[in-house]
Amino acid sequence: MELEHPTTSWQAMQDGNVFYKRQQLYTIHEKMPRFEDHIVAGARFGGPIAIMRDSTKMIALGGGVPAVAKDEIRVYSSSGEGIVLFTLNQGRIVKFGWTLDERLVVLNEEGTYRVYDLQGDYVQYSLGPDASETGVIDARIHEGGMVALTGALTLLEIKGWDGSRPLTLASTGLTEPPHTWSIIPPDLTISRHTEVLISPTTSTSILSIDNLECIDQRLSRGPFSHLAPSPNGKSLALMTSSGTLWVVSTDFQRNLAEFDVTSKVDEGAIGTPRQVEWCGNDAVLVTWDRLALLVGPFGDILSFIYAGPTFVVNEPDGVRVLGPDVCDFIQKVPLASVNVFRPGSTAVSAILYDAWENFSKRAPKADENIRSIRPDLAKAVDECIEAAGKEWEPYWQRKLLNAAKFGKSFLDLCNPNDFVNMGQTLKVLNAVRYFEIGIPVTHAQYLYTSPSHLIDRLTNRSLHLLALRISTYLSLKPDSVLKHWACAKIAKSKSTSSAGEADTTDDELCKVITAKFRSVNGGVVSYAEIAKRSWEVGRPGLATKLLDFETRAADQVPLLLEMKEDKLALTKAVNSGDTDLVYHVLLNLYNRLPLGSFFRLIEDGGAALAPASKLLQVYAREQNREMLRDFYYSDDRRVESAVLSLEEATKIPDPTSRITAIKSAQKFFSEDKERQFEAKMMDESIRLLTSQQQLEKEADGKIDFFGLSVNDTVTTCLLNGMSRKADKIKADFKVPDKRFWYLKLYSLTKARDFEGLDNFAKSKKSPIGYEPFVHHLVEKGHRKEAAGFVARCDASKRVDLYVECGEWRMAAKECKDRTKLEELKKRSPNDTISREIDSVASMLK
Amino acid sequence: MSRTATQTAEDESTTVSEVDIEDEGKVDLSLLRELGKNGLINALNSVNGVKTLVLDPTVAGPLGLLTEVSLLKQHGVDKMFWLEAGPLTATTTNIVYLTRGKISWIKIIADQIKRHVKDGTKHLYTILLVPRTSSLVSRVLEEEGVLGEVTISAFNMQFIPLEDDLLSLEHENAFKEIWVDGDETAVFESAQALITFQKLFGLFPRIIGKGDSAGRLTGLLQRQIKELDGGSKSDKLLTRSDKIDSLIILDRRVDMITPMLTQLTYEGLVEETLGIKNSYVELPASLLTTAKPPQGTSQVDANASPSLATPSASTLQKEPKKKHQLTATNDILFRELRDLNFSGVGLRLNKTARRLEEDFKGNLKAKTVAQLRDFVGKLGGLQSQQQSLRIHIGLTEMITPSTRTEVFNKSLEIQQNLLSNYETSTQIAAIEDLIAQGASMQLVLRLLCLASIVTGGIKTKTLEPLKREILQSYGYEYLPVILALSSPPLGLLLPNPLPPSAASLASTKIPYSNLRKALRLVNEDPDDFDDPADISYVYSGYAPMSVRLVQCVAQKGAVLKVGEGGDAARKGKGVAGGKARAHPIVGWKGFEDVLESIPGETFDVAQVGPTGTEASIAQTVASSLLSSEKSSTTVVFFLGGCTYTEIAALRWVGRQNKGRRILIATTGIVSGASIMNSLAGAVSSGAASKDTTPQL
Repeated sequence: MELEHPTTSWQAMQDGNVFYKRQQLYTIHEKMPRFEDHIVAGARFGGPIAIMRDSTKMIALGGGVPAVAKDEIRVYSSSGEGIVLFTLNQGRIVKFGWTLDERLVVLNEEGTYRVYDLQGDYVQYSLGPDASETGVIDARIHEGGMVALTGALTLLEIKGWDGSRPLTLASTGLTEPPHTWSIIPPDLTISRHTEVLISPTTSTSILSIDNLECIDQRLSRGPFSHLAPSPNGKSLALMTSSGTLWVVSTDFQRNLAEFDVTSKVDEGAIGTPRQVEWCGNDAVLVTWDRLALLVGPFGDILSFIYAGPTFVVNEPDGVRVLGPDVCDFIQKVPLASVNVFRPGSTAVSAILYDAWENFSKRAPKADENIRSIRPDLAKAVDECIEAAGKEWEPYWQRKLLNAAKFGKSFLDLCNPNDFVNMGQTLKVLNAVRYFEIGIPVTHAQYLYTSPSHLIDRLTNRSLHLLALRISTYLSLKPDSVLKHWACAKIAKSKSTSSAGEADTTDDELCKVITAKFRSVNGGVVSYAEIAKRSWEVGRPGLATKLLDFETRAADQVPLLLEMKEDKLALTKAVNSGDTDLVYHVLLNLYNRLPLGSFFRLIEDGGAALAPASKLLQVYAREQNREMLRDFYYSDDRRVESAVLSLEEATKIPDPTSRITAIKSAQKFFSEDKERQFEAKMMDESIRLLTSQQQLEKEADGKIDFFGLSVNDTVTTCLLNGMSRKADKIKADFKVPDKRFWYLKLYSLTKARDFEGLDNFAKSKKSPIGYEPFVHHLVEKGHRKEAAGFVARCDASKRVDLYVECGEWRMAAKECKDRTKLEELKKRSPNDTISREIDSVASMLK
Repeated sequence: MSRTATQTAEDESTTVSEVDIEDEGKVDLSLLRELGKNGLINALNSVNGVKTLVLDPTVAGPLGLLTEVSLLKQHGVDKMFWLEAGPLTATTTNIVYLTRGKISWIKIIADQIKRHVKDGTKHLYTILLVPRTSSLVSRVLEEEGVLGEVTISAFNMQFIPLEDDLLSLEHENAFKEIWVDGDETAVFESAQALITFQKLFGLFPRIIGKGDSAGRLTGLLQRQIKELDGGSKSDKLLTRSDKIDSLIILDRRVDMITPMLTQLTYEGLVEETLGIKNSYVELPASLLTTAKPPQGTSQVDANASPSLATPSASTLQKEPKKKHQLTATNDILFRELRDLNFSGVGLRLNKTARRLEEDFKGNLKAKTVAQLRDFVGKLGGLQSQQQSLRIHIGLTEMITPSTRTEVFNKSLEIQQNLLSNYETSTQIAAIEDLIAQGASMQLVLRLLCLASIVTGGIKTKTLEPLKREILQSYGYEYLPVILALSSPPLGLLLPNPLPPSAASLASTKIPYSNLRKALRLVNEDPDDFDDPADISYVYSGYAPMSVRLVQCVAQKGAVLKVGEGGDAARKGKGVAGGKARAHPIVGWKGFEDVLESIPGETFDVAQVGPTGTEASIAQTVASSLLSSEKSSTTVVFFLGGCTYTEIAALRWVGRQNKGRRILIATTGIVSGASIMNSLAGAVSSGAASKDTTPQL
C-alpha cells in the first residue's frame, strides 16, 4: 500500500519557498467534550489536555460527546483517550495549567493551588494571606511557575512547584482588572526573570512589569484583545480590538508585521478570535470557531477549516490543533524534508532518495544518480536521516532510512552513530505516538526535553512496563521507573490486603520490591521515597523494612521522624556527620516532645548521641538559655551550669545581679567535690567585686572599678593616688610580692611619679631586682630616670644597662679594663662619644 | 633568637626555578577559585536588580581572595556593609546578606529586619548562607518572627587557594568548634570540600591519617562518596587520580605541641606579632603607598640608586592602617622570605637590596640605544621589586623590636627547655615570673599547656597557684577558658595526678619523651638556618611533630636519621636533578609502634573507584608502575587548622625529593594565639572591626 506522499499535506507560502504542513495525528471523533462550552488547558510536548466545564455557559446534553460534571476536571491524551478525572471540592477555580513534568496546577479564587499528578494525587499550597484576603481573579501558569492577579490588582509570582513563598511584583497602578495580559517565562527573557505584559482597560498602551519596576510602553493602538509572546520570547503578537494582528519585538522597539484579519471575514473570521498562538517563531495562528488562519511574516495567509471550535496548544516547533474530529499538528516544514521531497528538488538528498527508489525498482538510473552526487554523498545521507526524524508515518521514516543506508554503503568511512540513534529514537517515538499512549511528541521536542523526561511522562501515566522497556532499550538508568512502580505497587496492594494479613504481606511485598530492584539494577535505588509512600498509605511495618535498605541518612531521617522513630532518627542523623541534619531532628523533637522526655532521650543516648547533645548546647547557648539551664540541671552537670552562670555574669551590667550570678556559679562549683579550687576562685571574685563597689563609693563614683581584674584594680588605685587601697587589695588577695612590684613599677612609670618610684624602690629590697626598672623606664622613653637605677643592679650588667640608657660616659666609667673599653668604643654611635670614652680610658691609666 | 645562624653563600633562585621545571602534572588550583567565583556570581544574580550587600566579616576575608569589588559591582552590588549589630540603612529594595549560619549573625539580621518593619521601610531580603542552607537558621528566623520576610539560599564556598600549594577553607573557629563546643560542622564541610576536590582531580588512591576527628572525616568521605547517586557522580569520582598519590589527614588534636610554640619563620612571626587574617596583614598606609619613583628619562640619568629608606618603626605604629595581601603569586621576594628562619631574613633583605642596586646601576653601563631599551624594559619589574623590598624591610623593622623584648626571649628559652625536658619545674617557675611581668594571657596559657603536654601534667600543688595567678592577673571571667583547656576532649592543661572523675583524660596524654626520641623532635645541634638540613630549622631546633608524622608517610628517611634528604639535596646542588627520588607511599610502614603510642585513631585506607573491576585494578597497577617516573602530589589536610611554620616545614619537605609535590590543605591558618583567643572569644565578646565599608 502506497501512503499519501508527504507533500500532500504541505501548503506553500512566500512564493513557494516556505512550506507549512498540517499533519493529522489522530482522529478523535466524539471522544472529548466540545471546546466551546469548556475551559481547556493543554500541556506542551504532546502532553495531555485538561477540560473543565465553563459554568457561565449553557451546555447541550447528548450528542454522543462525554459530559463533564460540574466539579471535575477531565484529562485526555491528544488522541482523546481519557487519562484521569479530578474531582474538585474547593472554591471557584480561577485557572489551571500544566507544569513541565505534566502535573496539573489548579488555582482557586481563595489563593490556594493544588498540584495534581496524573494519578490523581495532589499537594496543596497557598499564595499567602494577602491573596486569600483579597481573592485571586486571574493567573497565568507556565511550566516553571505562575503569576497570579489578586483582587487588589497586585501581581504575585510563584517560582517552581514546591510551595515557595510568593514574590510580589512591582505595583501595576491598575484601578480595574486588565483587558488582557500575558507573561514571558523567566527562561525566555534577557533578565532571566519573569516579565508580565498587561493591556489595561483604561489606556491604549501596554505595561511591562517585573519584580522591580513597571514600565509603560506608550503605545496608542490598544486595548488589545490578545497578547501572545513567541516561543523564543523575542516577538509579541498583539490583536487589536479593530481586528489587526500586529507583531512587534518584545522590547517594543521594532515593528515586525501587521495584518488586517477582517479581510478574511468571508472565510469565517468573524468577531474576536478564539486564540492567537505562535506557530514556530515566525508565523502566528489565529483561530475562530471554524477557521484557523496562519499568518506568515510577510503577511502571507494560509487558512485551515475545521468542523467546529478548536483548541490550540503552542509547541516549540509548531502548534497542535484539537478540533472536534481530529488532532492536527501544524508546523513549518523542516528544511531537510523540503530538500528531499519538494517536487523538482535538486538537493543531494533528493537525488539520493531518487537513487534508492530506482535501485529498489532495479533501474540502472540508480548508479547514475549516486555517481552524480558522489562528492556530497555524506551530506545527502545525513539529510535523509534527519528527514526521517521529521516524518510522522513509519512508512516514510523507513523509506528515508533505507535511502540513507543505501547511500551509506557507497561511503568508505561513515560514522554509523547518527543512523543507529535515529533508528532507535524513531522506534521509541512511534511507540509513544501510538494512539493508546497518545503522546504525539516530535523528534525536535524529544531532543529538547530529553529521553529521561519522556520516560518520566510514561511512568506518571503508570505505563511502567513500556517505560522500563524503553529505558532498557536506550540504556538509561531505570531507577525512577522502578521507584514509581514500587510506589504504585504499594498503593495498590493496600486495597487488596486486609488488615489482618498485613504483616505477612509486608514481608512479601518488601521481598518482591527488593528482588525486582536487584534484578534490574544491582540494588542502587533510593528506598526512602518508597518507604515514605508505604508510610503514607498506612503501612509503617513495610516502611521500616524498606527504610533499612536506604543508605543516605538525609533521606532516611525525615521519614523516621514522621514515623515517630525519634531515637533512631537522631542516631542516624548523628552517624551521618551532617550537623544540620542533627539540628533538624533536635529542633523537631524539641517542639514535639515534653521537655523531660526530650532531655531523657538525649541523655540516655550516652556516647552515641553525645554529638547531638553538644549541638543542642551550642544552639541553646545562643538562643535558648533557659532550656540549657534546665538541661544541665536535669543531668546534674554542675560545672557546665556554673560556667553558664559565669558567662551570663560577664554580660550583666547591673552589679547586684552580676554578683548574684557569680554566687550561683560558686554554689554549683562547691557542690562538686573536685571543684573546690574553682569554688574558691569564685569566692575571691565575689570578694573582689564587693571591694570594688566599696572603692567606687569611696571615689564618689568618679573612678570605675567594677569588673576589673585584681591587677587592674591595683593599677587603677595606684594611678589615682590610692596607694593605701592598693596595699590593702594586695593583702586581701594575697598578691605575691613580685607581681605587686611589677604592677607598681608599671603604674608609677605611667603616672610619671618618678619620686614615688624612687621611694618605692628604696622601701625595701626589690624582689624582682632593679633591672626591670631600667628596662621598663627605657622602654617608656625615660632614659634619664632609668639611669638612676643602674647603680643598684648587678655590677656585671651595669655597662650594658648604661648603654641602654644612652649614658656612655657612665658606661665607660663602669668599665674596669681596657679591652672592655675598646669594645665599648666600637659600639659607640658617634665621634663625640668615642672621644668621651677615650678620655675615660686615659683617666683609667 | 636563642641561637644564631651562620650564612653560607647560596644562589637563592635555585629553589624557585626547580619548582618551575617540575610543573608537569601539577594540580591546577585555579579551577577551585573559578568554582568559587562562579558560585558567588550565580548566587548574586539570583536576586534581580541593584542590591545592598551585607557581609559577615568572617566571610568577607575569604571572599576577598576569590573576587574583587569591581566584579561584585558588575553584578548589581550597590553598597556593602559589615554585618554588625545596630540599624541598617539601605537605599536599595534588595538587601542581600552573605553570612555563615552562626546563630549570633542570624539574630543580628533578624533585628535589622524587625527594625525595618517597625519603621515601615520595605525591602526584599535574601540570605545567602555559606556554605549551605540550614534548618537551624530557618528555625532561628522563625523564632525571631521574620522567616516569612526572607528568601534563604546558599553560596557554597569551599577550598580557597591561598598560594599555589596551599588551600584553605578559611573556617576561622574550626578548632574551637570541634574540640570545645563539640560542633563537628567543620568536619562535615571538610568532607564536602574534599569531595569537590576529588570531583575535579580524581579519587585519592590512599587516605592515611591520625586522630579521632581525622578518622571521622575519613569515614564521612568514604560514606558520602558511596551515597552520591549515580547521576551526580562525575567520571572523576569513579577513577583514582593519576596526579595525586595520597591524602594525609591529621587533626589538630594529634599535635598540640606545635601551635603552642612561638613561630620563628618570617611569615610565622608576622602572624605572631601583627596577625595575618585571610592572607592580609594590616600595615601603616605610608608603607604601602608607592613613593613615586622618578619616571622615565629622569630615572635613566639619575646616578644615585633609588632610596630604600623606610620610615622608622616607631612612627609606623601610629599611622592609619591599610590592608596588604601577603602572597607569593606576585611578590617574588616574599616567596623567598616567607619560610626562612627569621634570623636569616635580615641578611636576605640586605642581599636583595644590593642586587637591586646593581640592577639599577645597570643603566650606567648602557651605552647603546639597544642596551638602553633593554634596561627600560626591565624597569617595571625592578620597581615592583623595590616596592616589595620596601614593604618587607618595613615589616621586619616592625617585628624586630618585639623579638628583642625580655618576655619574648624568656618565653623562647622556656619553650626550648621544656621541649628538651630540661629542669621542667624551673621552667614552670619562670612562667610564673612571666605572669608577674604582665605577659599576654595567650602566651602564658600556651606555655602552661606546653608544660603540661610535655610533662604529662603539672603537679596539682604547683598548678593551682598558677591558675590563681592567671585569674587574678587577667580576670576571673577567664575561668571557663581554663576549664575548657583542662577538660575532655582537649585536656591540654592537666593536673598530675588526675582527679578520679577525669581519669578518661589519661588516655589523651602523649608519651612526649619517647616521641621526642622516636621522631627526633628536638634537634640538639641545629645547623645552618639559612640552608637547613632538617625541618627543625623552623622552630630553631624543634621539628614540628605534625610534619614529622607527614614525613613518616612521605619521607621516611628524614625521620630516621639526620639529613638524609637534606644532605642529598645539598650534595646535588650543583647538578640539576641530583635529588633523591621520592619513595612510593606505603602508609605508616615502619612507624606503626610510634603511631600506636600517640592517642587517636590511626588509619590507612585504599580508595578504589566504586566500579572496582579488573580493569580499574589493572589501571592502578599500571599507574603505580608509572608513578616511579612521573611526579605526583601528596595532599596533606589539617583538620582544625595549621600554622605558617608547619606550612614552611612541609614546603621544605616537598623540595627534598624529586617526584613528590606537597599540597597543603587546611580548615584555616591558626596560631597558638588565635586558638587561645578563640577559646576566650566568649568572654571578650568578639570585637569585630568597625569600619562600615568592607575592603575586599
